[in-house]
Amino acid sequence: MNRLLEDRKAAFIFIAPAFLLFTLILFVPIIQVIYYSLCNYTGLTKPDFVGLKNYIDLFTSDETMKIALKNSIFFMLFSGVTQQIVGLFLAVLLTNIKAGRNLFKNIYYLPCVLSSAALGLLWAFLFNPKIGINNLLSTFGIQGPNWLFDTKGFIPLPMWVIGCVALWQYVGQNMMLYMAQISGISRDIYEASYIDGASRGQSFRFITLPLIKPMLITTLSLNCIGSLKFFDLIYNMTQGGPNHRTDVLATHLYTQGFKYYKYGYASAISMILLILCLFTTFLISKCIKVETYES
Amino acid sequence: MKIEDKQKKKKKITVTGVLLYAFLIVLALVYLLPLVWMLSVSLKSNREVLSSPFSPPSVLQLGNYIFAWVNGQLGVATLNSVIVCTSALIISLLIGAMAAFAIARMRLGFLKYMMQYFLIGMMIPVHCVLIPLFVRFSNWHLTNQLIGLIIPYITFSLPMTIFLMTGFFKSMPGEIFEAACIDGCSIYGCFIRIALPLSRVGMFVAGIMTFVGNWNELLLAMVFISDVAKKTLPVTLTYFVGPYATNYVQMFAAIIIAIAPTIIVYSIFSNQIVDGLTTGAVKG
Amino acid sequence: MVKRFVSGFLAAALVLGSLSGCSVSTDTGGGAGSSGATTETTSGSVTATGKEEQITWMFWDDLNATEDLISKGYKQVIDRFNEQYKGKYYCNVVTTNLEEYPTKLNALVTSGNTPDVFICNPGPNLTQYVESGAAADLTDILKNQESQWYGTFTDGIFERITYDGKIMAVPTNFAAACVFYNTDIFKKAGVEVPKTYDELLAACKKIKEAGYTPISCSAGTAWCLSMIAGYLCDREGGPDNLVDVNAGKIEWTSKTFVDAATKLKELSQYFQDTAAGDSNDQATANFYNGDAAMLVQGSWAIAQINGNNPEFEDKCGVFQFPAIEGGSDPNRMIVKTDNLVMSSTTKHKEAALALMKMFTDDTAQKYTAEVAGKIPVTKVSIDYDKAPKQFAYINDILKNVTGTLGFYNESLASVEAGDTFDAAMVDVFLGNAEPQQALQKVQDFYNKNVWKK
Repeated sequence: MNRLLEDRKAAFIFIAPAFLLFTLILFVPIIQVIYYSLCNYTGLTKPDFVGLKNYIDLFTSDETMKIALKNSIFFMLFSGVTQQIVGLFLAVLLTNIKAGRNLFKNIYYLPCVLSSAALGLLWAFLFNPKIGINNLLSTFGIQGPNWLFDTKGFIPLPMWVIGCVALWQYVGQNMMLYMAQISGISRDIYEASYIDGASRGQSFRFITLPLIKPMLITTLSLNCIGSLKFFDLIYNMTQGGPNHRTDVLATHLYTQGFKYYKYGYASAISMILLILCLFTTFLISKCIKVETYES
Repeated sequence: MKIEDKQKKKKKITVTGVLLYAFLIVLALVYLLPLVWMLSVSLKSNREVLSSPFSPPSVLQLGNYIFAWVNGQLGVATLNSVIVCTSALIISLLIGAMAAFAIARMRLGFLKYMMQYFLIGMMIPVHCVLIPLFVRFSNWHLTNQLIGLIIPYITFSLPMTIFLMTGFFKSMPGEIFEAACIDGCSIYGCFIRIALPLSRVGMFVAGIMTFVGNWNELLLAMVFISDVAKKTLPVTLTYFVGPYATNYVQMFAAIIIAIAPTIIVYSIFSNQIVDGLTTGAVKG
Repeated sequence: MVKRFVSGFLAAALVLGSLSGCSVSTDTGGGAGSSGATTETTSGSVTATGKEEQITWMFWDDLNATEDLISKGYKQVIDRFNEQYKGKYYCNVVTTNLEEYPTKLNALVTSGNTPDVFICNPGPNLTQYVESGAAADLTDILKNQESQWYGTFTDGIFERITYDGKIMAVPTNFAAACVFYNTDIFKKAGVEVPKTYDELLAACKKIKEAGYTPISCSAGTAWCLSMIAGYLCDREGGPDNLVDVNAGKIEWTSKTFVDAATKLKELSQYFQDTAAGDSNDQATANFYNGDAAMLVQGSWAIAQINGNNPEFEDKCGVFQFPAIEGGSDPNRMIVKTDNLVMSSTTKHKEAALALMKMFTDDTAQKYTAEVAGKIPVTKVSIDYDKAPKQFAYINDILKNVTGTLGFYNESLASVEAGDTFDAAMVDVFLGNAEPQQALQKVQDFYNKNVWKK
């Protein structure tokens, strides 16, 4: 058996197609991007090596980068927290009801499979100052806020709105994964805990929560990386406006690279994004692992 | 689910029960009403959408649908999308599962690092590699062909597939493989005859995620394909965004055409789909 | 089990194929034409046989799905081209939506597959392709080889697409930005067409008292607001403003710009309440639905207005943006051309030229004016009865025009500089910054990115 599982040739055969494709189509371009990030490159003329200038500019003189970094981190924290809590909450609710469970599950999961670009358009319509939700509010005599164009505050209103739309769209995925995990927990454990006099709350705290911890790593990583890379909804709802106040790293990258043709500069932004993603994943796996050992 | 113990729960209406269902129903409306609203918009004229967005359409503008279908060339686009996404799905599942099998079950030092290597792929925004990739592909004469979309779609799907499938393979009891081994099964046999069939649900989950992602992908499709006859569905739907004014109603009509049959099929088969996801994820 | 799996899978496959991506963002700095009206275009019957010389033309709107009258006109040009040169040349059309146009075009240029002819905005967009050598120099062709063709163009039309005396593109039409007004509301409020900025303010006040929105404007679509700002800047300081600021001779924080921005702020109290978030489409709709008295827009809005509300054509007037007393020449007008650029690497120069000629021949130019409501670039004679009524008004205004300028955001040093200006104006409008502060940001950008060169 061991001999079989240590068969180098077989391992190569198994891994070669994926490895080759991945290297050729994704990794080589990434190396190229690293090089471009050190260049003044417009995408039209030859790249011109300038060393770390792009990175220095990014952190010293780019106001939008500061906003984008702030918004990206806000968005990641907001999505991470709300999607975990709401996802888990819905999962627990739905596992505890009988009638209509599948119906509700299907409905809440539906937007996950729809394109966020199209949904972004839909919500941009609905959060329009006049024709959407505000139109409904005005029939009750309420003057709705300017959802997507308010600029006040450290985190302006549009970021919260987009965060909520993202929650609406993607919470189904967490719900689904948690439901899967919870329904995998044996009924007997709960029965036993009830016999021991545990309340529902207690059984949730001491049985459900510890047992779904592995899923926590998966969902949290997916949430965090997903929200750092997030582009479609924001782009279609506000395009980063007004005056870059809703820009995140991905939209800033797009504007710099494909609107202003500063491809080298955009490459530097994408390297920052990549590092942030790697760091977050690392942090999540480290933190949660430690916790597991403790309990 | 069969785990539910029917006799235990007595049928009685409690206050919490009512509140719970009220909450779930309100939430369901939050999910469904925007889609219903989209349907109503698609039946109006552009002018009416802007003047009275919530009222039901005064005159049903069925012309929107005809225009969208004919001018948007939705038929061809749907076919292209099906071809591209299905091929990408099958191939990425196969080679993803192969790699995942080696990573999950085989005991060779370098395989640990392979996993990290593939995971980096999950963190790359498509925008960063767009230009180098396009230059490469046009040198290889792969642009403007469906295969030129299929290859990157496979690649971008691999990290997720490998990530999920590795979890599945790891969760399988080692005894099955040992038993097969004793019966003289080769490592390839283990993969094809044991691992693959047992991980059907896992493939289902990975497949769905892959398919959704690729089906909705716009940027690569937009840049790589120039020929009208080879455009995919998302690209076609953007045609209604004009250079100056957006043709909202016809775009919404096109979107509705694209989702109508699927919503119907979804309502019929939804339980299988969702159960597949659920059972699949448990083992992952 | 397998059967169930398969059916479930198919179902999933279908479900997931539901909504698909639409990158929707209406505009970047004005575009061609408008939507709304319906005109049938015949679809091309000629297909390539493979024997002819094939060229590629790239455009930012789909020719089949479009409602845009200019785009429809372009489709007719392509069809005519393929018909007329049957067996000799054939033109393939590559289209994207406006949003992905630069992305795709740049990718094509980078990979050495530049389309033989492509459409391009004037200003920094075109500069990009000129500086990188992607655009062919057309001076010799126009002035010597094809001087007859060159002679058909309106005087001065090449001004903004000439670099160091070299003509780098050929225009196909142009649009002019004016103030459209609702004559009914003006009558009810007892207002005359304002000639000066002060009269405009007074008129706005009266219209507001009469219960209407004086001006409909979109700040959600930044360039709409920036168009008014551009007019104000130009009315304050004339053509020197733009030239000097790009050359580093005056600062963005100098009095002329601060005054213009202050006036913008002053004028904005007469915008509709939701101007901050309204899109361009909505601002235009406010106007043609009769809620607002005035709309500052490019002439492409004509087709959109008439198409969505045909009765409105009769009560829609047009006037030139008012003068500022003590300011500069009030007869200058903001205009914008659509331009064709020829690839410097094209192997089918003759065919490309034939195509460009067809875009500017009498048939195409008549269509531009009479159907699409944009202004022709050649000296073709136009039947004004066929054209929308507003077109004639604009033409009257044009007779007095002493000079033109581009859209402000498209006349600055780079696309990014234009966006920085737009963003500063939006900030002034929203009250996030005083005019001085907002302009300081533009100045900072210039200090860092433009003047150091």
